[in-house]
Amino acid sequence: MVKNITVFTTDTCAYCVMVKRFLQVKGVEYEEINLDEHPERRNEAFALSGQLTVPVTVVTQHDNTKEIVVGYNLSRLAPTLA
Amino acid sequence: MNDMSKEIHDLVMIGAGPAALSAAIYTTREDIDTVLYEKAVIGGLAAVTDLIDNYPGFFEGVTGLDLSEDLRKHAERFGADIRVGDVTSLFDEGKYKHLVTTDGDIYAKTVLIATGTAYKMLGCSGETDYYARGVHYCATCDGAFYRDKRLVVVGSGNSAVQESMFLTRFASHIDMLIRGDHLKASEVLIKDLKKHDKITVHLNTTTDEIIGENNQVTAVIGTDKLTGKKVTYPTDGVFVFVGLTPNTSFLQGSSVELNEYGFIETNEKLETNLMGVFAAGDVRASATMQIASAVGEGATAALKIREYLEDHKKKYPISERPEKSKVSV
Repeated sequence: MVKNITVFTTDTCAYCVMVKRFLQVKGVEYEEINLDEHPERRNEAFALSGQLTVPVTVVTQHDNTKEIVVGYNLSRLAPTLA
Repeated sequence: MNDMSKEIHDLVMIGAGPAALSAAIYTTREDIDTVLYEKAVIGGLAAVTDLIDNYPGFFEGVTGLDLSEDLRKHAERFGADIRVGDVTSLFDEGKYKHLVTTDGDIYAKTVLIATGTAYKMLGCSGETDYYARGVHYCATCDGAFYRDKRLVVVGSGNSAVQESMFLTRFASHIDMLIRGDHLKASEVLIKDLKKHDKITVHLNTTTDEIIGENNQVTAVIGTDKLTGKKVTYPTDGVFVFVGLTPNTSFLQGSSVELNEYGFIETNEKLETNLMGVFAAGDVRASATMQIASAVGEGATAALKIREYLEDHKKKYPISERPEKSKVSV
């Protein structure tokens, strides 16, 4: 069971739009952290993903395990919502 | 399997970039049952382009993201069914084309391939080692990680110039490495580029190796072709825009004819050699790689598809499409 979802995005990232749209279609709530508005959180996204890119989606399950999905990768993102 | 047990559509489009979305506006307005499959981003490469300055009607320019969103909304307004998924194979079974997708098998009377292109990789040492950790292919996605950092951009065409200018929002300095002796971008872009004092253009410079320390890119090593000497450009990241490769790998094994570079051969009606299968946009051989052209080709393809469907109906008169043709059991 999903406890919460955080998506790191930027204003200009088309893949971020796709991730957000996918979550909306699934009816899942998420917190968005826009790195253009919060550049001080870039290191947080990098620490989580190990990559210098967005979107980074952090899916926290009720047992507090985290799944980190980098990019618009539905084959990885969709199962985390099951 | 009989027809009633299949999911059958008038038209399936593979891809949802400007060519497909434009075609979908035309076909859905004429009540042609149209499904689009997109495996990546709606809008394709256009969606990840910062600013589109040469699309008619947008005299102040338009972001790729905004244009893609508007094209999507326009197509959906008339009933286009845009699905997230990948088409992995295409077979001609006569009456219908059979498409294997990540959601299962579907069938269509006609197919439009508009899968576009993707940025090529450089193929130099270190490129894959630092993929997405210092080597990037999408400035609008990854540029924000390089605020006040030095960057190298490799490439000389419109994308390289456009994206370099976008990256000046973040980077402290950009070295553009260009293998040839001139920029291949349009004159307008070159003129704009010259206004950016953060960008230094290095002509006749190859990109040989991307090196780093502690998991981070630190420099690009190239060769000055005029002197033959190695040159080192200290950098925090590298953005690569060195050309486009067609998204046609799923057609390997199909009978759709490709040219030597993998682009789809078509005739003046945008028909491939496979009857009932059309192609439009950047994936087509001889495409101009312009969004305005792709949109025009989408419209042309839609009109030719309508003609094809009229012929199809005469050829298979009993073939009435199921109710809305969306799902059948």
